[in-house]
Amino acid sequence: MIAQTLRTWWKWWKWWPFRHNELPKLFLCAYVLLALAAPLLAPQNPYDPTQIFAWEASSAPGTPSGGGYVYWLGTDGLGRDIASTILYGLRISLMVSVISSAIAAAIGLAAGVSAAFFGRWVDIVIMRLVDLQLSLPTMLVALIAIVTLGPSIDRIILALVIVQWAAYARMVRGVALGERGKPYVDAARLLRLPTHRILFRHVLPNSVPPVVTLIPIEIGHAIALEATLSFLGLGVPVDKPSLGSAVANGFQYLLTGQYWISLFPGLALFGLIASINFVGEDLRRRLDPRREPQ
Amino acid sequence: MTLFSAVFGRMGQAVVLLFVMSLIGFVGIHAVGNPVFNIVNVETATVEDIQRATIALGLDQPIWRQYLVFAEDLLSGNFGISYVYHLPAFSLVMEKLPATLELAVVAMLLAATLGVLIGLVAGRQPGTRLDRTILRASVFALSIPSFWLSMMLILGGAILAGRFPSGGRGATARLFGSDWSVLTVDGLRHLVLPALALAIPNIALIARLTRAGTIEVEGLDFIRFCRAKGLSPHRILLRHTLPNISVPIVTIIGLQFGGMLAFAVVVETIFAWPGIGKLLIDSIQLLDRPVVMATLTFVSVAFVTLNALVDLFQAVLDPRVRLPRKG
Repeated sequence: MIAQTLRTWWKWWKWWPFRHNELPKLFLCAYVLLALAAPLLAPQNPYDPTQIFAWEASSAPGTPSGGGYVYWLGTDGLGRDIASTILYGLRISLMVSVISSAIAAAIGLAAGVSAAFFGRWVDIVIMRLVDLQLSLPTMLVALIAIVTLGPSIDRIILALVIVQWAAYARMVRGVALGERGKPYVDAARLLRLPTHRILFRHVLPNSVPPVVTLIPIEIGHAIALEATLSFLGLGVPVDKPSLGSAVANGFQYLLTGQYWISLFPGLALFGLIASINFVGEDLRRRLDPRREPQ
Repeated sequence: MTLFSAVFGRMGQAVVLLFVMSLIGFVGIHAVGNPVFNIVNVETATVEDIQRATIALGLDQPIWRQYLVFAEDLLSGNFGISYVYHLPAFSLVMEKLPATLELAVVAMLLAATLGVLIGLVAGRQPGTRLDRTILRASVFALSIPSFWLSMMLILGGAILAGRFPSGGRGATARLFGSDWSVLTVDGLRHLVLPALALAIPNIALIARLTRAGTIEVEGLDFIRFCRAKGLSPHRILLRHTLPNISVPIVTIIGLQFGGMLAFAVVVETIFAWPGIGKLLIDSIQLLDRPVVMATLTFVSVAFVTLNALVDLFQAVLDPRVRLPRKG
């Protein structure tokens, strides 16, 4: 009986069109859409105290609400709907990580290309800084940054940029060093184009593609790191929960068996990071076919 | 001779790195605000009070003298007295260190054994269903946020199954003047869940690395020669392939061990494991600055030293490593 069900399930799974590499992409698109449409989809705004019914705190999943909807995933200790918190928290997690990755990539591109192109002391200074940053664990760098800067959303973004830029810079420098010797750069030099033009209009665009493979990895790291910092109470403010602080809110309730407060936001976070990582892996395999034998 | 100069070069690099970090820390502390206002009452202080406090803190000295004093304090482990515990900050860190150390060591032993084993199994037959499953599982394992993993381990292992305690160190036994949980049965039971939480991402990481190395080495001529000689696959795998991929594995173990000291912050906080990570977070929340500085400095120095040792170890193990310039 069970074997039969499993076999049927397996048959359907095999024919599912998004089986191998498509499923994570689908998930990722769904996540982004959910985050964008959060105010339309969420039954309550968890950041707005007037929409929260405090006497419905810690309701189990499936409890009907006084607001005419159902708490499908339960409520947390303050009466916020977990499903709504996830949708809104997703926005903050994605926003913080995407913005910080974009800034870090921009800084890394500029620094890496400059290091490769100018050489000499510019190269030495930039690459020593990169070494300094990459030689410490990201968690430590982020902690030091937050301790010095103090927690708030823009500081978190700054800390994440500090953590991420070096990886981009190192990769871009490697690529740009290769580009520098190519004939089109010589041709541009012969045309007596100014250095900054060669740098930003010729070398930089050609150094971008390999960097693309780094973006999903770094965004995944940034999401995890932001969530961890928020969990430790060093991230986004408590009244605007990101996914990390939503999990943290449930920690004290976990021991009394109210598992849903931590379980569902964490599951959402896990799914988000996993789908980004799978997409990143797929991208890397495609752009760099010699790495993996399969 | 080359090994000798390599050792000195790498050690010099580590020292320079620590020097730059201390410089950044020095600038950072001064950028945060005038430390005078930490001791004087801002509302009632007169100009003379501030003057006196400035002299007492040595802030009237030229900036390079201030840095020298700062560096001297760092080197002698003098971070001041904890505002909360009223003990020297550095000795407080040292007191909490054994707990973190035993947690990290147990987690790393677990991760290294399981990771290498899984990696060898996957790398032996690349492309098979088993290999693909392991590869996919590793991506999942690397995606789990460590704090959520810890909480789910508590939920599964402590609350639902009731097998393991959800927090604390349990009974400890004294050895070499410190308390160790690994020496008692109760302590070991307390150790299981936090060690798993630290180990699981590292199992995945080590397994991926081992798999990649195995695939690369298994295609080389000497392995084919071993096969032609009629050696059993197990013997080839364990006696010929494994030693040849041991260098990157040892490297990642060293690096991750340093990373564990930093990431133990999360796991220790959740499992109420009284190590340096929990001390750090508690101190940040209590604004106990000497302890925060002492902990961060200790972890940074430990990490940089560990990095340098791993590089040296590579140079000793593998004559091909000529310590190439990074970057």
